[in-house]
Amino acid sequence: MKRAFAAAAVLVTLAVVSLLIGASDVSWRALFAPEPDERALQVLVISRLPRMFAVMLAGTSLGVAGLIMQMIARNRFVEPTTAGTAESASLGLLTATLLAPGLPVLGKMMVATVFALAGTALFLLVLRRIPLRSALIVPVVGLILGGIIDSATTFFAYRYDLLQTVNAWTTGDFSTVLRGRYELLWVTLGLTCAAYTAADRFTVAGMGETFTTNLGLNYPRIVALGLLIVSLVTAMVVVTVGMIPFLGLIVPNLVSMVMGDNARRSIPWVAVSGAAFVLLCDIVGRVVGHPYEIPGGTIAGVIGSVLFLYLLLKRGARVG
Amino acid sequence: MSTSNRRSLPLFALLSVVVVLAVLWVGVKFQRPDAAASTPAAEAAAPEGRTVTHGQGTTVVPLKPRRVVVFDLVALDILQALEVDVHGVAGDMFPQHLTRFRDAKYPRLGTLFEPDYEALQAAKPDLIITGGRSSAKYANLSRIAPTIDVPMSGKDFIASVIANTEMLASVFGKEEKARGLIEDLRKSVADLQQVTAPRGKGLVVLVTGGRMSAYGPGSRFGVIHGDFGVPEAAEGLRTSLHGESISAEFIREKNPDWLFVIDRDAATGQKEGNARQVLDNELVRQTTAWQKNQVVYLDPGITYLTGGGIQSVKQLRDQVASAYAQAQ
Repeated sequence: MKRAFAAAAVLVTLAVVSLLIGASDVSWRALFAPEPDERALQVLVISRLPRMFAVMLAGTSLGVAGLIMQMIARNRFVEPTTAGTAESASLGLLTATLLAPGLPVLGKMMVATVFALAGTALFLLVLRRIPLRSALIVPVVGLILGGIIDSATTFFAYRYDLLQTVNAWTTGDFSTVLRGRYELLWVTLGLTCAAYTAADRFTVAGMGETFTTNLGLNYPRIVALGLLIVSLVTAMVVVTVGMIPFLGLIVPNLVSMVMGDNARRSIPWVAVSGAAFVLLCDIVGRVVGHPYEIPGGTIAGVIGSVLFLYLLLKRGARVG
Repeated sequence: MSTSNRRSLPLFALLSVVVVLAVLWVGVKFQRPDAAASTPAAEAAAPEGRTVTHGQGTTVVPLKPRRVVVFDLVALDILQALEVDVHGVAGDMFPQHLTRFRDAKYPRLGTLFEPDYEALQAAKPDLIITGGRSSAKYANLSRIAPTIDVPMSGKDFIASVIANTEMLASVFGKEEKARGLIEDLRKSVADLQQVTAPRGKGLVVLVTGGRMSAYGPGSRFGVIHGDFGVPEAAEGLRTSLHGESISAEFIREKNPDWLFVIDRDAATGQKEGNARQVLDNELVRQTTAWQKNQVVYLDPGITYLTGGGIQSVKQLRDQVASAYAQAQ
C-alpha cells in the first residue's frame, strides 16, 4: 500500500512537471492568477495535456507489451526493439508510404501492424528452431533479425530518399503531439486493459507450452493474443510518436526484481513505471536544450542502454 | 583403373578450365589498378593546364576541359548558368530548372553519395567536379581524373555563391558571363533587403516526416536572414546541419510575422502538402504569419537540393520578393 502511494506520488509529480515545461510560459501563476492568462490556458489544453497523455500512454503500453513478449518468448531480454517487432512495423510503414502514399494514418497503421505481426511470428519461429535457448542467444537472435529487417528498410529508404522520414519513426519524439494528433494512442489503453484481463494466462504461458497445455489451456491461442496486442501497440506507437527503445525491456525487469513474475500483480506496476520512465525522458529532452528539444526517444535510448547493460552484467541475473 | 581414369577425365578438363579462368580473372584484377593509376599521373604531368584553388586544395586542370562530369547539383546549377556543357551527371533527383539532365544523353554516374566507378571510368572524364554530398568522395574521385570541389555555402551565403561561381568561371574561361550574373544577383539581393527589413520578423522551418526544425542565420538556409535581410524571430538558433528540433508551441511563442517553410519530403519526391498538414494546427494558426497569410512555402527543390547555386539563389530571392509584394 505504501509502495502504491509512493508510486502514485512520483507519477503525479512527473506529470505535473511535464505540464509546466515547454517553449511557452505555462506556470502556476499564469494559470491560477485571479485572471488566468488565456494564452497559457490554451497551450495547456492544445499542447501540454495531449503531450502528457501521449507520453503516459506510450510508456504504459510499451512496458506491458515488453512484459507480454518476455513471457511468450520466455526470456527476459526480449521486447519489441530486440525481437524485430519495431523494425517490422517501420518496414510496414515504409511500404505503405511507398506503395500507397495517400493512405490515411489508420490504414498505414494497419499495414504496420500486419508487418509487426509477421516479424514477431518469424522471430518466434526462429526461436523454436534454435536448440540451445540460452538466455543471451534469444535477444541476440532478435537483434540480428531486427538488423536484417532494418537493413531492408534502410535500403529502400535510401533508394527513395526517405531516410529522414524513417528516422522519424525510429526515434520517439513527442514534440509534434497536439490535440487532434495523438488520439489513436488511446486505443493502446484498451489493449493494456485487455492484457490485464488475460494476465493469468500470460503468467501460465510463461511457464512453457507443455505446462500450459497440461493445465488445459490453449497455448497457441494465448501466444496469438499476446502477439496481436504487442504488434498493435508497437504499430500505434511507431505511427503516432515513433519508437522508444529499451523501454519494454528495462521496465518489466526492474518491476519483476521487486514484484516477482505474476503478471496480474506486475502489470499495473509495469504500466505506472513505464509511464513515469517516458515522462522523465521527455522532460529531460525538453529541459536540456530549452527551448529546443531533444527527442524523448533519444534520451530513453541513452538511459535505457545503460540500464540494459546493468541488467545484463548483474551477477546472478535470473535468466530463461 | 582405366575406367576411373576415363570418368575423371571430364572432371579434370572442367577443373583446368576453372583454374585458367581464375588465373585470367586474377590477372585482370591486378592489372586494373595499374591502368587506373597511370592515367591521372599522365594528365597531371600534361604541360598545358591551370592551377585552381577549390574546396579541398589545389588541382591542375586542363585549359579547356571538354568531358566534364559533375557530382554536385550546386555546381550543375552554376555551370548551366555559365552555359558550360556537361558530359555526365550523378543522382536521380533534379530540381525543376535542371530537369534536362534527366535525359539519357547525360550518362548517369551513380549517386551523389556513391559514384559508379565503372561508369565513371568508361566516361573518360578530363575534369570531375564534387561538392556538398559528394565532397566525401573527393579523394577517391581525384584518382581517376583532375577533380575540383565546390565548397558548401557557409556563413556569408551570397558571398560564397559568388566565390563558387567565380571559381568555376575561371576554370571554363567564362569570367565575362559570370560577371553579369553576379552583378545581377548582388543588385537584386540588395533591392530585396530594402523590402524585407522593415516588414517584421521571420522564422525558417523545415518539415520532414511530421517533425519540425528551425534554422537560423549562418545555417544552410541562413540566406533568408543573412542576405535577404529578414530579421530573426528566434535569436540564438545554432547553425547545426539539421537545425533545432522545435514544437508548434515554439512557433507560437516566437510569433513570427513571416514563416518560411521548406517541405523536405516534397524536395525528395514525395507528395507535397505534408508540411501544410503539420503546420496547420491550433497553435501555429495563432501566429501573425498565419493570420496575415504570410506563410511562404519555399520551392523545396531550389532550397534543399541546389541551395548554393547561382540560379537557385536568384529564384529563391524572386520567390521571397514576390511573397512580400503580394502581401502588400
